[in-house]
Amino acid sequence: MKRAAVIVFLVVVAIPLVLAMADLPPYGSPDSPAYTHVGSYYLEHGVEEAGAENIVTDVILNYRGFDTEGEVTVIFTAMAAVLAVLMVAGGGTAEARPLPTPPSVVVRFIVRVMAPLTLMFAAYVIMNGHITPGGGFQGGTVAGAVFIALTLVMTEHDVSHLIPHRPERVLQAAAPIVYCAVGLLGLTLFDVYLGYPRTEEMALLRTAMLVALEIGIGVGGATVIATIFRTMGSDQ
Amino acid sequence: MSKLFDLLLLLLLISCALAVVRMKDLLAATIVFSSYSLIMCLLWLLRGAPDVAMTEAAVGAGVTTILFLLAISRTTRYERK
Amino acid sequence: MIEALWHNIDYVACVVLFCIGLYAMIAKDNLIKKFIGLNIMETSVFAFIVALGVVEDGDAPIMGSGATPPFINPLPQSLILTGIVVAVSTTALALTLIIRIHKQCGTIEADELREME
Repeated sequence: MKRAAVIVFLVVVAIPLVLAMADLPPYGSPDSPAYTHVGSYYLEHGVEEAGAENIVTDVILNYRGFDTEGEVTVIFTAMAAVLAVLMVAGGGTAEARPLPTPPSVVVRFIVRVMAPLTLMFAAYVIMNGHITPGGGFQGGTVAGAVFIALTLVMTEHDVSHLIPHRPERVLQAAAPIVYCAVGLLGLTLFDVYLGYPRTEEMALLRTAMLVALEIGIGVGGATVIATIFRTMGSDQ
Repeated sequence: MSKLFDLLLLLLLISCALAVVRMKDLLAATIVFSSYSLIMCLLWLLRGAPDVAMTEAAVGAGVTTILFLLAISRTTRYERK
Repeated sequence: MIEALWHNIDYVACVVLFCIGLYAMIAKDNLIKKFIGLNIMETSVFAFIVALGVVEDGDAPIMGSGATPPFINPLPQSLILTGIVVAVSTTALALTLIIRIHKQCGTIEADELREME
């Protein structure tokens, strides 16, 4: 009875949506309003105004830079909330638990051989984010996934040495800190928070600011993902 | 011809989503959800969005699947009724 | 109208996926299954917005050497990048809360939780 009521409700919701899809501009047409106003301006003037050849990196770091600052704050807040919910006083200690069934020799060997190569690939994706597809968050997630894979083949105690203990709190907040630093640099030099130089002779400074932002987002993202995994996995 | 491939991918996507909703074993549902994320990444590559496809591949196969597996290992594996 | 719907078949597929996710959120009792439904709804909306920006025979918006106009609209792609990151954060926090509920109440079925208070 409840299932039939839900299906009737969904059909009532879906019919106006499908009828609205017939009224949208046709798929793939170059006259749609989403393409003719703002998008074409970014495509024509993006490279000389913002300095990156990847227009998507242009848009998220220069034209819509405040949105990316909000996104970085969101992921940091999520990590803080995960820590707050799971680590209550007297909940448990993060000690070295051996795995119940150790993985096979093939898995251990392959993960140990591939881990440094994958980290190098992640660093390449972060550094070349403004020329080829890629960017800060893509490389950061790959680095975090390498950390998770290493946890499967080594004990918890050995893996915790990969993220050093003293700078760990600073590394988790690396992305918002780097963002604020670059924004204040823009404020002191160009009178606008997160302002970029527009002239040709300061192009080196502009590229340096973009790469610094990418590295900050990458390192921050990787540390946040590793911390969330370690918190959810080791608290008993 | 490429429109036929597009249609095939969309049909596969819808059938993966239906399978995820109907399964009672949550571990199998997580694995099918990871393949749903992979097909979505392929669809975005065909639409000319390489940045979005790279992010979805790294996030869907790496982070979301691992977090679901952690949650299932700490709670129940089978859905009741 | 059927002609217009057949031409926009990508948008219709996104609406179908949205409804599948909505069904999983409303009709299923297990909290993890509800949350998988939310994730399906989120990815269907992302696919819809990226499909809005496609131009026929267009290239990816990277201005390297050998790239010819027309290009695909770069604006929806940057919005979706932020959206995917927010979806990951929501996933992490929701699964943490589910683990905590299970530790505290012993069950994660919605009707048993409702009778518990």
